[in-house]
Amino acid sequence: MKLNVGTIRSTCNGFSSIAELAQDARALFLDNAELDFSSCRFFEANMAAPLYVVIARLRDDLNDVIIHNLRPATENILKKNQFLTVFNMGVLTDTNQTTLPFKIFKRQAGGQFNDYLDTYMRGRGIPSMSDALTKRFRQSLFEIFLNAAIHSDSELGIFVCGQFFPQLHRLDFTIADAGVGFRENVRRYTGQKRMSSCAAIEWALTEGNTTKTGNQPGGLGLKLIKEFIRKNEGKLQIVSRFGYYEFSSKGDSFNRMDHDFPGTCVNIEINTQDASSYCLKSELSSDDIF
Amino acid sequence: MDKSITIKVADLIGSPLCISAEDGQKVFDKVEGFLKDGRNVIISFDRVTMLISLFLNVAIGQLYGSFSEEEIRTKLRVEGLSGDDMELLKRVVDNAKRYYANPQQYDAAWQDEGDEDEQ
Repeated sequence: MKLNVGTIRSTCNGFSSIAELAQDARALFLDNAELDFSSCRFFEANMAAPLYVVIARLRDDLNDVIIHNLRPATENILKKNQFLTVFNMGVLTDTNQTTLPFKIFKRQAGGQFNDYLDTYMRGRGIPSMSDALTKRFRQSLFEIFLNAAIHSDSELGIFVCGQFFPQLHRLDFTIADAGVGFRENVRRYTGQKRMSSCAAIEWALTEGNTTKTGNQPGGLGLKLIKEFIRKNEGKLQIVSRFGYYEFSSKGDSFNRMDHDFPGTCVNIEINTQDASSYCLKSELSSDDIF
Repeated sequence: MDKSITIKVADLIGSPLCISAEDGQKVFDKVEGFLKDGRNVIISFDRVTMLISLFLNVAIGQLYGSFSEEEIRTKLRVEGLSGDDMELLKRVVDNAKRYYANPQQYDAAWQDEGDEDEQ
């Protein structure tokens, strides 16, 4: 089966296009899937993570997946970020060091994810952000990674990828999984069998709400990330099944996508020129906290 | 008063990364045991390089399900946290107090929200 991949950017349309691929290929089993990039004029490299959600599902159904007709610029960037290594299509040295390579992690691999960030967020062309900004950014990425590990209910792994856009002073980092999505988790937890994907994302964004079982408090991670993104004037996107959520300095927006993305993807875009102080000189003591 | 027990988190979980719920549970189990015995506990975050809310919810937030605020305030201390991590812990503790005060509150508010048929 031929699947046409169009231009893919980190937008609602870009995610919806990837979801459409998944929907078109849903019935494939022990078959061939050819991702045809001939109509793809531009592919934002961090979007390799959600694209791999589709590929992981296809491979899990024992399909052979191949990539065809990449334009040279797209092939270059996808070789630089090592995405094409999963198709044995080679790798290019990332001379400008603007990529955080595509990588598949096991759900339990929090330590390896830390090593990955150590390797690719320091001493490369990736921006020399302040230590405080770097810490908040990394904390946010860990919150997302560990949430994917807990909630995805999928053994296919967690797919990560990042791209620095030097002229724009923006760094996008994308974490995706091929799991059950917010909707399924929130429906199970609340008993709301018909809750929509957007409503489920909204539920999960509410401080204190968590589908984690075991009588434990939770539901702070996404709220903290939003606070960070607000201060940083960056952007947060959450895609899960039919739901698309975006938060930026322009505000919140939810959109119901036309197609069903078979998992969850979170993209954080940060403003790398942010000079805000994130190091709070807190006077809090244990007495104040407890 | 008994001498306080110091729990060195990085040693206990064998990592400077306080990121997983499983490791948070290890810390919770130790702290809960000592508090039940009436001991004073210091949780030391020395050498910890990464701390997220997910870990703190389990390690410390969960204590509010077993002990009163008064017990925790008089018997538990933390050390080795930077200012911003202390603020993070404060958020986690406030969230936990709300959660255990009324764990069903958030769910109930959503009973009639957002129904929409999706395939």
